Amino acid sequence: MELQSQCTATEAVVRKYADMVFRLAFAQVRSKSDADDIFQEVFLRYIRRNPSFESEEHRKAWLIRVTVNCSKKFWSSAWKRKVVLLKVAPLDDCFSFSLPEENELDEALRELAPKYRSVVHLFYYEGYSVEQIAKILDQKQSTVRTQLTRARAQLYKILKGEV
Amino acid sequence: MFEKRYKSMNEQIIPDQVLVDHTIELINEKRVNTGPKIAQFLRKPLAITAMLLLCIFIAMPALAADVPAIYALIYSVSPATAQFFMPVQESCMDNGIKMEVIATYIHEDTAEIYIAMQDFTAGRVDETTDLFDSYSIHRPFNSSAHCEQVSYDEATKTATFLITITEWGGHKIEGSKITFSVSSFISDKHEYENIPIEIDLSKAGGGHKTKTVSITGAGGLNYEKYQQLLKDSATVLVPSAALYSPAAGIDITGIGYVDGMLHIQTAVKNPLKKDNHGYFFLRDRYSHDRTDDYSISFIEYAEPNNEDTRICYDEYIFDIPQSELAGCALYGSFYTSGLYTEGNWQVTFPLKTQDY
Repeated sequence: MELQSQCTATEAVVRKYADMVFRLAFAQVRSKSDADDIFQEVFLRYIRRNPSFESEEHRKAWLIRVTVNCSKKFWSSAWKRKVVLLKVAPLDDCFSFSLPEENELDEALRELAPKYRSVVHLFYYEGYSVEQIAKILDQKQSTVRTQLTRARAQLYKILKGEV
Repeated sequence: MFEKRYKSMNEQIIPDQVLVDHTIELINEKRVNTGPKIAQFLRKPLAITAMLLLCIFIAMPALAADVPAIYALIYSVSPATAQFFMPVQESCMDNGIKMEVIATYIHEDTAEIYIAMQDFTAGRVDETTDLFDSYSIHRPFNSSAHCEQVSYDEATKTATFLITITEWGGHKIEGSKITFSVSSFISDKHEYENIPIEIDLSKAGGGHKTKTVSITGAGGLNYEKYQQLLKDSATVLVPSAALYSPAAGIDITGIGYVDGMLHIQTAVKNPLKKDNHGYFFLRDRYSHDRTDDYSISFIEYAEPNNEDTRICYDEYIFDIPQSELAGCALYGSFYTSGLYTEGNWQVTFPLKTQDY
């Protein structure tokens, strides 16, 4: 009975945060199949650690941090270090967006240094402040602020303005 | 403008429903099957083992003479399907350790792959070798995958792993190439279960130095009852030098009463490279065991921003009056790993079926 209720509760968490975890993973690795792997790893860690939280915001922050960490681990793999040099993803590994400027942005984000992608996503999509991102990622506010500034500068160059 | 475009693009990024459903299935399976499969395999009765050995001896003459001994292992693990395995024998060597893809077997939407790791220079590969989350499987189709150790040969210092990949969505597995890579593994794992902790609980009084820390995790059987006490921070004992080490790599760095509750603090150095963990329980004079009411974790660095000096502290909190502690003894169960080995092992190989 207890096991069943644990399974149901975990299922609810997976369904609730599925989009958020997948988007954040994709934002960093920009590959569907790699985001799939990270997605599974995040939720497997969730059941392995079985953490408890005092609020949903705390749970969300935990999932964000683990997703970012899993993505970092992904970037450290030797295989990935080699294949990213190609900068070209197989067609079935990408999303095709409805507007041309969205596809252009996707291309630009592929060129953006991976270490800046998570802060860009947390700031522009999840709507977190620099202070909140620093807290979630356990980094200094100055580091997050610098990463955002450098990311904006890179994107400005790639997109020829518009940031 | 940028924000709007970024949001609009991301709204279209959603996980495949099959991925979500498979993940939930996987999680439910993990919850039900709490023990690792290797343990189940080792627990098989002697009679079955004897039968499998008989299978090996019967089947061995049919094998080519140069088939490595490890290939025969597949017969011991899965005699019914061994004939369907396609030999691969692609390998790579790094840090004195060879990783070899032995054979693959594709059936329906599943690929089973046997991989062996053999240490030629030291005893780093052992029967407890665990790839934990340091391996990656790159494949050009959506799928779920897992890896488990299925056997260990002491004579050749070889651990064999079975990777199972299940494809989703109708992509043909056969003919695909996959890359399996490992960047590190842990071994020399030990379990210390229900061991007495030789600390005099009568000295665990109050008046200890405490401090407030940001917590990185919290949990426990009765955590919900106490969660109001915690926000993002908690009052913990100021870590001292090791008072007692119940297992190699795990130190007790504090024990005492804080706000009327017993706190027991442990420290694990460099936890990212080890899988050292454990828990405590109190046993009363009637042999009734009582686990902690909740626990919290926090992290400190011996040197700022130096990941290699990271220390993970766990504090176990028991809501037990000091007067009741006199009749209790402290016990714990701990799980440690002594070796962390890094390398760059990577093999790319095709998934083929056997030709007849």
